[in-house]
Amino acid sequence: MANRNTIDRRSFLTVGALAGAGSLTLADLLRCKQAQAEQKNYAAFEGTAKSVIHIFLPGGMAHQESFDPKPYAPIEYRGEMRQIATKIDGAQFGETLVQTAQIADKLTICRSMTHGEAAHERGTHNMFTGYRPSPALTFPSIGSVVSHEYGPRNNLPPYVCIPSQPNEFAGTGYLSSSFSPFSLGSDPAQGGFKVRDLSLPNGIDDSRFATRRSMLAAVNQHFAKKEKADGLQAMDTFYDRAYSLISAPQAREAFNIEAEPAAVRDEYGRGTAGARMLLARRLVGAGVRLVNLTFGGWDMHNNIVQGFRGQMPEFDKAFATLIRDLERTGLLKETLVMISSEFGRTPKINAQAGRDHWPKVFSVVLAGGGIKGGQIYGSSNSTASEPEEDALDPQDLFTTVYHCLGIVADKELMAPGDRPIEIIDGGKVRKELLA
Amino acid sequence: MARLRVLFALLIAGVAGVVHAEDAAPAAAVTATVPAAIPPQGPAPTTGVDSLRVYPEAVNLLTSKDRQLVVVQAVYTNGLTRDVTGESTWTFANPALVRRDANTLWAAADGATELKVEFGGKMLTLPVKVEQATAPRPISFKLDVMPIFMKAGCNTGSCHGAARGKDGFRLSLFGYDPDGDHFRLTREIPGRRLDLAVPAKSLAIEKSTGAVPHTGGKRFTPESEMFKDFTGWIADNCPLDAATVPTCTSLEIYPKQAVLDGEGATQQVTVLAKYSDGTDRDVTSLALFMSNNDNSAAIVDSGLVTAGKRGEAFIMARFSTHTVGSQYIVLPKDLQFTFPQEAPVNYVDELVNEKLKKLRIAPSGICSDEVFLRRIYLDLTGLMPTYDEYTRFMTSADPEKRNQLIDELLNRKEFTELWVGYWAEWLMVRSNNQISYKSMLLYYNWLSEQIGKNVPLDKMVQNLLSASGGTFKVPQTNYYQNETDTLKVAENVAQVFMGMRIQCAQCHNHPFDRWTQDDYYSFAAFFSQIGRKGAEDYRETIIFNSGGGEVAHPVGGRVMKPKFLGGAYPELPGKDRRQLMVQWMASPENPYFASNFANRVWAHFFGNGIIDPVDDVRISNPASNPELLAELAKRFTATNYDFKQLVRDICRSHTYQRSTERNETNATDELNFAHANLRRIKAESLLDCISEVTNTRDKFQGLPLGARAVQIADGRTSTYFLTTFGRATRDTVCSCEVKMEPTLSQALHLLNGETSNDKIRGGRVVDVLLEQKVEPLQIVERLYIACFARKPTPEELEVFKPLLADPANAKVVLEDLFWSLLNSREFLFNH
Repeated sequence: MANRNTIDRRSFLTVGALAGAGSLTLADLLRCKQAQAEQKNYAAFEGTAKSVIHIFLPGGMAHQESFDPKPYAPIEYRGEMRQIATKIDGAQFGETLVQTAQIADKLTICRSMTHGEAAHERGTHNMFTGYRPSPALTFPSIGSVVSHEYGPRNNLPPYVCIPSQPNEFAGTGYLSSSFSPFSLGSDPAQGGFKVRDLSLPNGIDDSRFATRRSMLAAVNQHFAKKEKADGLQAMDTFYDRAYSLISAPQAREAFNIEAEPAAVRDEYGRGTAGARMLLARRLVGAGVRLVNLTFGGWDMHNNIVQGFRGQMPEFDKAFATLIRDLERTGLLKETLVMISSEFGRTPKINAQAGRDHWPKVFSVVLAGGGIKGGQIYGSSNSTASEPEEDALDPQDLFTTVYHCLGIVADKELMAPGDRPIEIIDGGKVRKELLA
Repeated sequence: MARLRVLFALLIAGVAGVVHAEDAAPAAAVTATVPAAIPPQGPAPTTGVDSLRVYPEAVNLLTSKDRQLVVVQAVYTNGLTRDVTGESTWTFANPALVRRDANTLWAAADGATELKVEFGGKMLTLPVKVEQATAPRPISFKLDVMPIFMKAGCNTGSCHGAARGKDGFRLSLFGYDPDGDHFRLTREIPGRRLDLAVPAKSLAIEKSTGAVPHTGGKRFTPESEMFKDFTGWIADNCPLDAATVPTCTSLEIYPKQAVLDGEGATQQVTVLAKYSDGTDRDVTSLALFMSNNDNSAAIVDSGLVTAGKRGEAFIMARFSTHTVGSQYIVLPKDLQFTFPQEAPVNYVDELVNEKLKKLRIAPSGICSDEVFLRRIYLDLTGLMPTYDEYTRFMTSADPEKRNQLIDELLNRKEFTELWVGYWAEWLMVRSNNQISYKSMLLYYNWLSEQIGKNVPLDKMVQNLLSASGGTFKVPQTNYYQNETDTLKVAENVAQVFMGMRIQCAQCHNHPFDRWTQDDYYSFAAFFSQIGRKGAEDYRETIIFNSGGGEVAHPVGGRVMKPKFLGGAYPELPGKDRRQLMVQWMASPENPYFASNFANRVWAHFFGNGIIDPVDDVRISNPASNPELLAELAKRFTATNYDFKQLVRDICRSHTYQRSTERNETNATDELNFAHANLRRIKAESLLDCISEVTNTRDKFQGLPLGARAVQIADGRTSTYFLTTFGRATRDTVCSCEVKMEPTLSQALHLLNGETSNDKIRGGRVVDVLLEQKVEPLQIVERLYIACFARKPTPEELEVFKPLLADPANAKVVLEDLFWSLLNSREFLFNH
């Protein structure tokens, strides 16, 4: 938008460089000044990822028991669990990640993720928005930004949460609520799972629905003429989305997990993790741009061994299958998969045989969509308490993910009060993560 | 020439103590005297000055280190203000006592005198007192060094204030633990951080000045005062203050308010800290400044505010554990504006309009009778006016009909039910593992009875929070069964009854408010003696005063004496702590009680609170109209907490009855109630309205067929519709439990779901009217009135006429129209 009549940031820099040569008139200078105050804008470019599956493990998953074990650390740091070899030379995972270890050659394990927020909600904010929480402004989640930048594809909502919006920071922040996620409302693992209200009710055929739509448009006109409000516009947007979804059987079919062959469902596992990841694969395959799904509870202050043995096997099976399945169907090239959590856990096992909150270093897993396979990126120190090499902060992580999606994260979006805010403030693309 | 004038002026200043000759008014001379104060927008007009404000109100200088930055503000008759510090004339009765450096005064000799400030024909004097003018002041760790950690950003959460510090060095977050900070600085890794022999070579100093690599970068320069104080303290052998060192008891930021004329206008602030020993200090250079709206007014480290775009900002200063703020309004330069002629109905209008006048915003006009009718029914009963109610109101010619309707609706049982619903959210009425369905129901019934009888709010809350007994026999005791953790109980009480989120202070001093950890744990101590034991029936619990149990401070383990939040320490011995607490909590002594509730009521009628969100009262989230909130609270208290009177005052006001249509001046204003807001109807009421207009009945668990959604007692009972439209689950006390954002699921449900389609068919509204031989176009009108409280416009009728030409189609067309009305934005929103 800011590009229309003014100079964008890059051409401004070129003009600025020319100024040294003395070829700039006063009028040019004034125009530059104005351009400076405008929103920074960049055209989207062809990214390597067409969609994202964001798997969020709420509670703060321990990095030590999963992707960053420390077999040579003293027992109170290492914990009781064993380590296993993976498809990445020399790299080990925790003992519960049996199947994932076998597809590790498709993954980039970032072992140097770091931020300073040790409270759940603040850490979660960082890992959904790429920003530290601010008292003055709420920031949009990556899903809402993608929704804002790209809009729907193949009549499907751009941003879908399975089973529902996981937390308040997965929302639209300062952006209009039209960019909020579509929550399924029920869990795909449940028998007879169906997303409600996708098809026309009994007795209403396409032609009658068309009549109804035109009547509704007529009824809405009077109000639309005199009222303006964000809530109103957002409602209009969602009605438009609903129309396209209802009128596109293919799009609706994406939600139908029953259409999957039994063998595939078994491979993923019939539990929560399997059903959610399988549905996520169906959705990105059909056109959803960003699917967020959560699994389990990882706030293991007590008895971490029991916690991991209880939850991780199901996750492991589902996740490894997801990567294999995406690979098989050719979707992995264009689908970026990310596993993240709000933070990691303390280096030492505590008195309750658990670990507490630890944001200074933890692990994030990336795969597909232009991310390099079979790589360990960065490292933590010998006790998994600080990043040792290539510390990765949320800004750079998100800037890199946006880059894969073809979005320049330095672009500014407009917050209320004509206040341009960068999608991510000061992040850099980590080229080492890219294939 | 200019240089000569400077010399001349300095000479006068030095010899006579007069800053500039009283009758010599040329601007150049003024500029020369105080070069720092050249206003970027040209000299201030000297005409039209209504009054002068000089800050602080008195200058007290103690020791040679003390100083005072003085700020002079001119208030013009048109409401604008201007920083005229540099342009005003200062005269001291005894110039020998002080030394002036730009706008800062330093001690020169002991004694008392007066400073006369003149500008634009106005004059003001303020007392000046100087003591121990030549004595030095030792540098104190707590009073001088700790503030440096805050001002330089060392102890923020992203740096050394993080829970485990940063890069091996930890400070307490925002300085909540000065003794611990002293220990870590001086005793941890001895010899590393401080160099007593060459203080400037201390690692702590070299890191701060960027002389050695520092992740946090350069924080201050070797020329700065922070550098001098920090090294001075190290040179003194890093003493920890004696236990008697005064503490900062209050903080003031001046000026209190400014109305700036156009982008680029500036205003210097001055910040004064008062201490427990009665002294004060100018802490402008040590205070941390923030603006809640940089776009309209930004502030830099030195305390200079610069106006930006039109709007309003709250400028805050933080020092020690205190945060204070003042309001800045920025107007377009030379704006011409006249406020519309309109007599206010009551104090609500007067106070709202007063603010609008300051902002140069004209309010929208009064809404039509039809709009008022629908709005007041929805707001007071949660239902739409019926066709008969519509006809009665619209045909009445009584000029008092709006007020009469308000009174009538206030006495409807639906009004009570609506507010019981709100209270059930605040008190988290919900069955769960601790609270059986029976207890929950008894609790809900108790609540209904209290609201139904209009029991004065203070009595009701006192009764609720101090109750002891079985959760069956004295059902309000369920409040303490719902949450059994002492700290959580304290947090919930503060959030619901005072509108405050004190959670932050559990682990560290509240970063954006005044609450310290001491405040938090002292308040929690009121709830530390709640006993709970099983009763005969396994579903019942007995809540009683156990008389034992304390709360310990996490830093140092001190047992905390109960203290009212922001209030006094009560006399304890032999008393039930909750009894003591409620007598203060629900009383005029607690300044937050009445205003919190008034604000919650206000938010129901306007869509947002005067403080918004309503349960996030803090200094950095100020009221958009503090005078209005104070007056509502005052009247509410004065009427013995008569809830209905409060509602009546609000509903009668023009402010409530404004149109949603905006004008040029209020188009972008969202904070000052200059127009009505579109508000999505709450989930429960929306379902009730759909059932009402479709003439259908709902069945909810535990309620008879035909009960309304707003009557559902249990927060756990829900339906797909209610969940999708954002009904509160009552899991937490947060106002964010109720969600009003539109979603795709909502659109899909109204388009395809059972709520619209099945109800239209099942309720047979169209069939019945057709059977009664009502003309199809008449039915269109009936449906419009039922859903929108208005008749269709001629254009709208034109659309439906051809469709209804064939009577055989009438039923289908009318049902489709009905479906369209239920799906329309006009139906979903209160407007």
